[in-house]
Amino acid sequence: MRKLLAALLPAVALAIAASHASAQTVGVSWNNFQEERWKTDEAAIKAALEKAGAKYISSDAQSSASKQLTDIENLISQGAEVLIVLAQDAEAVQPAVQKALDAGIPVIGYDRLIENPKAFYITFDNKEVGRMQAREVQKVKPEGNYIFIKGNSADPNADFVHSGQLEVLKDAMDAGKIKNVGEAYTDNWDPAIAQRNTEQFLTANNNKVDAVVASNDGMAGGAVAALAAQGLAGQVAVSGQDGDHAALNRVALGTQTVSVWKDARELGKAAGETAVLLAKGTAIDAVPGAVKFSGGPKGVEMNSIFLAPIPITKDNLNVVLEAGWIPKATLCQGVPAGKVAVCD
Amino acid sequence: MSETRTPLVEMRGISVAFGGLKAVDDASVDLYAGEVVGLVGHNGAGKSTLIKVLSGAIGRDSGEILISGQPAAIHNPREAKNYGIETIYQTLALAENIDAASNMFLGREIVTRWGTLDDVAMEAATREVMGRLNPNFRRFKNPVRTLSGGQRQSVAIARAIHFNARILIMDEPTAALGPAETEQVRDLIRQLKKEGIGIFLISHDIHDVFDLSDRVTVMKNGRIVGTVNKAEVTTDDILSMIIAGTLPSALARRMTQEA
Amino acid sequence: MADIATTQGTAAAGDQSRRRALMNFLQATEIDTRLLGMIGALAVIWIGFHIFSGGVFLTPRNLWNLSVQTASIAVMATGMVLVIVSRNIDLSVGSMLGFIGMIMASVQAELLPQYLGFDHPLTWAITLAIGIALGALIGAAQGAVIAYLGVPAFIVTLGGLLIWRGAAWWVAFGRTIAPLDSNFQLIGGGSRGSIGELASWIVGLVACAGIVLLIANGRRQRRRFRFPLRPMWAELTLAVVGCAAVLGAVAVINSYPMPVGLARQYAEANNIPWPEGGLFIPLGIAIPVLLALGAGIVMTFIATRTRFGRYVFAIGGNPEAAELAGVNTRWIILKVFMLMGMLCAISAAISTARLNAGTNSLGTLDELYTIAAAVIGGASLGGGIGTVAGAILGALVMQSLQSGMVLMGIPSPLQNIVVGVVLVLAVWLDGLYRKRIT
Repeated sequence: MRKLLAALLPAVALAIAASHASAQTVGVSWNNFQEERWKTDEAAIKAALEKAGAKYISSDAQSSASKQLTDIENLISQGAEVLIVLAQDAEAVQPAVQKALDAGIPVIGYDRLIENPKAFYITFDNKEVGRMQAREVQKVKPEGNYIFIKGNSADPNADFVHSGQLEVLKDAMDAGKIKNVGEAYTDNWDPAIAQRNTEQFLTANNNKVDAVVASNDGMAGGAVAALAAQGLAGQVAVSGQDGDHAALNRVALGTQTVSVWKDARELGKAAGETAVLLAKGTAIDAVPGAVKFSGGPKGVEMNSIFLAPIPITKDNLNVVLEAGWIPKATLCQGVPAGKVAVCD
Repeated sequence: MSETRTPLVEMRGISVAFGGLKAVDDASVDLYAGEVVGLVGHNGAGKSTLIKVLSGAIGRDSGEILISGQPAAIHNPREAKNYGIETIYQTLALAENIDAASNMFLGREIVTRWGTLDDVAMEAATREVMGRLNPNFRRFKNPVRTLSGGQRQSVAIARAIHFNARILIMDEPTAALGPAETEQVRDLIRQLKKEGIGIFLISHDIHDVFDLSDRVTVMKNGRIVGTVNKAEVTTDDILSMIIAGTLPSALARRMTQEA
Repeated sequence: MADIATTQGTAAAGDQSRRRALMNFLQATEIDTRLLGMIGALAVIWIGFHIFSGGVFLTPRNLWNLSVQTASIAVMATGMVLVIVSRNIDLSVGSMLGFIGMIMASVQAELLPQYLGFDHPLTWAITLAIGIALGALIGAAQGAVIAYLGVPAFIVTLGGLLIWRGAAWWVAFGRTIAPLDSNFQLIGGGSRGSIGELASWIVGLVACAGIVLLIANGRRQRRRFRFPLRPMWAELTLAVVGCAAVLGAVAVINSYPMPVGLARQYAEANNIPWPEGGLFIPLGIAIPVLLALGAGIVMTFIATRTRFGRYVFAIGGNPEAAELAGVNTRWIILKVFMLMGMLCAISAAISTARLNAGTNSLGTLDELYTIAAAVIGGASLGGGIGTVAGAILGALVMQSLQSGMVLMGIPSPLQNIVVGVVLVLAVWLDGLYRKRIT
């Protein structure tokens, strides 16, 4: 018996060593799981890693920038060979990111920009999200009073999206065709705060509002609730992003104009695949599909992959159905027959 | 000398331990109707603890309590009150944020037929009782916090006597009072004695105790040193019992002679 | 010379007699001066915002909105008063609201439709019942740990804050559940969630009658024992002022008409021809506001007229005295937290119905606003002191500040600063007032 074990032992040890050598450990630092979409991103990243035979470890910073610093340190000590970081605060996370880079661990900024020349940036083009929101809303209401329900003031994405919106609307606003009659940042992208702010803006303008440019679907929901209380739902153009199921249903019902959909599965897949490449030693400027991007607040040149978002309106709801993103019953709940083609 | 009638209260072999420390060690005392038994001793001698066993505030580890010769089950303050035992605590045990009437009836409120508080009835009863104790008292609707020490004392006493106490426990009743108010308390005690109520009186003031008590029980380190008739001892005897923890020899001889 | 002295003398005497008249008035009517002070502060805030918002704040529409926006916190504040009075605190109410809200959304949008179909007339009632039962259960559980296991309330409810927020996410894995049952939505106010003009007047008249009855009953009770009565003029003044305030409020609420779009739909649905100038259909009192007022009345009754309420105050004043009086203090504390849980469930219903969605972040930071409302309303964190009416006023003050600042276009970080400063100021002033009267 003992002889058998003695013979087997080195073989087992070799096998373990071998498996360790080939499997990469990818650490993911999430900022907060409360938003609906991040579970989808996680599933996509995990799937991509599994396919490549890599190991997935993660942490949740629960919206705290300081916790995220500790989380990143923990991931490093758990043996992460590459980090994917969804930053809670793009500035506050820099020291931890630098620590990882100094230790030779590549870092991917996921969805939210981390302005460090040695880090990689994978995102949907957030400015393009804003442009798409504004374009669709402007199509429906080319003139009139606009309200801007912006995101969390500490989140750089909120400003990216808003700058994209303003870029598209600039000419009309300069010509006086579109007036900005109310704008506010929304703490934590909170739908209830968005609802209250929209109510107050409607009161201040005596309901003379033609469009609500909301930066995400959660807040769009709050805005639509406020509009509905005034009987204006469906008459005022509303934008959003994320492709939340409730939002897509609103698009079908006609109370929301557009939800800019970023297939989080694509983003997660890209991040997972890139992470494995970086862990295996690929240089950050040699990642296939990478472009140079210097549009951040500090103008630092980043190697990035930009995925294209898709604006979902009443006319192309079939896209989300065919991609298997939302079941038809959920999309079409409450939609009267004959109103929306894909629902019949 | 020794009574042949049944004591109103008899506590036999009471022991209470906190952690490893025996606060009360095999103590036995009794009280007859219409008499005042003074309970004296050093700080920490176990007087308050013993009396809290009777009032239901503390549980006992061993021993028994008899009320009018019958064994009594006293596990909490409510049960003690059912036996007619009322207590005036050293801290007065008043809730400062509610008024005198609410404190008087705390735990025993008068309710209307719908189960709601009958505040006016309680106020009326309080006015009546306080009228006897402290005729100048006016602040019936103010929180007790706004009352003076003497007025609070009156409220605590009123609470004790309103509910037809047969056994009254008074823990340092005159400690915080001025001379006029102390005299009022003394008069009250004399009055209650006449009404046949039995009183346990804890006090550190030997002269007070001597003045008002019929018998005096001395405790030291949780044990009963002895119980003596006031008429047969001097204050010095009592003091020596407190300090030395033993009966003075002359007294001991007399007591053995009688036995 | 003498003339000047006399005029000065008479002026001073005039001042004196005016002050005495005011004191007499206050004494005769036995009004709580602190409550008067709060109403005064609220008036100052309202008038200030009206001026600075360009005349928008004191319009029926904004006041109607304000009443709905305040409702959720007001309901919870009525329970928080008792918690604070009993020398405890509840930091978990926001997270409980989020969790119970998610459960209620899930029950009505996903569970019940499987058995009853969509928009069944009973769905809202079953959902609400489940929510309140859940609130009672969670509250009782926290209360039991606090009262019987002796863990400090701060810690237990801090744990609850984390636990129930996490649990809220687990109900639907972060998904937002929307839309909700159309009858349930009425609980949140909105376009259909009000009782209409006639019913509002009826509510106002009933309230007025209630005030008169209360005063008359108080007088009758005093007569039972021949206590000194309030002067008749004081009683009449109170009754008249009370009724005027209530009916005035209803009149303001009824001045807010249905928005044009909704009025048209209403006219079409009821076959009313659409006249030239449009239709003026008052919405009436919003349902969440009725719920908040109802909670206020019930909780005031519990706090002042029941033995339970009396014991809560006694425990807050002197827990040992309560124990020695034979009060079952631990059972009372458990019930206080159970009551808090049930009120959270009602607030959860209001919040989710208003948003027409169950989101897991609902109620974030609500515990702070609720505690602030109770404290601004006069509750002392040392225990033993507090009023339900004050808490509701406190909630109104906080919400007025926030809503008014949005009207003025003040950025949200500055709003937070202002709210924080006002909270500290209010409690400091309250402390000064207390020292002055005792």
